[in-house]
Amino acid sequence: MSQNLITESMVFDELKKAIVETLNVDANDIKPETSLINDLGAESLDFLDINYRMEQSFGIKMARHFVLEHVEEMFGEGSAIDEDGALTDKAVELLKLRFEEDVPELQAGMDMDEVPALVTAGSIAAGVMDILESLPEKCTHCGASDWKAEGAAVKCGACGEAAVYANGDDLIKAWLEKVQTEKNLF
Amino acid sequence: MMQIYQGIDIVEIGKFREIILRHPDFIPDIFTEKERAYCDSKKDSSVHYAGRFAAKEAGIKALGIGMSGGGIDHTLREIEVLPSKSGRPELQLSGWIEKLSQKKHISQLTVSISHSEHYAIASVVLTGKQNTV
Repeated sequence: MSQNLITESMVFDELKKAIVETLNVDANDIKPETSLINDLGAESLDFLDINYRMEQSFGIKMARHFVLEHVEEMFGEGSAIDEDGALTDKAVELLKLRFEEDVPELQAGMDMDEVPALVTAGSIAAGVMDILESLPEKCTHCGASDWKAEGAAVKCGACGEAAVYANGDDLIKAWLEKVQTEKNLF
Repeated sequence: MMQIYQGIDIVEIGKFREIILRHPDFIPDIFTEKERAYCDSKKDSSVHYAGRFAAKEAGIKALGIGMSGGGIDHTLREIEVLPSKSGRPELQLSGWIEKLSQKKHISQLTVSISHSEHYAIASVVLTGKQNTV
């Protein structure tokens, strides 16, 4: 539970700050639907820089593995990527659920290297929000239920220790298990 | 039928240096222990890290994977760039990247890295077999 200490708009503002500092672009050009590659010209080093900035701001660990890599690990080789290195029908269905919005460009048979262009400021912010929502009810150090936000960082009001969140990869795996239980995709 | 896959990448060394200084997790996240030992033994390690980063990116492009964007891409760590006995850099794949390369029946990997004062550049050529229907 996030306990509403860090709101979606706070996350998006922090992400905008990270993008502006990394890419030297105008903050007004950054909307939730903005593609970092197509609209802002980001390259891979920039993605890493932005993600690390978000980790440092919020004291979180972003995912280290792509969702489709987790799919193949959990549901078997070939479940997400076919023999030609293209996305399977099921991978596309899953990514549509993951993006939580209509992404017409997402089609079965598309190459994997076409997917990063679909990553938007909104999808990165949603990934950060997922992690922040894993804030435990009680402090893992002293057991107190007294979280306080200091800017983007959440600390225990009793002992002062920083909040410990679930990491991005564990949350993706938990989400995949939930989707599989509900939809039986794989 | 034989298929050749090619990827190229260029890294601005100054920008790369700023990023690794700003984010202490960057080097251990992206580079293996052996790569770190090699680069750290050099006078200006960041130039060698930048060259290896370019080689990893070029490898990812050659494989047609692309970066994940939504996180910190550990697949880069699964492309290890180390010198051979003769000193020429070589690529070693592991994990998911290795599995993806097997799908493309990659049998040969070659990499070339170069750098100037401001830029590091790498080119990767993979030789594989085209899947037949």
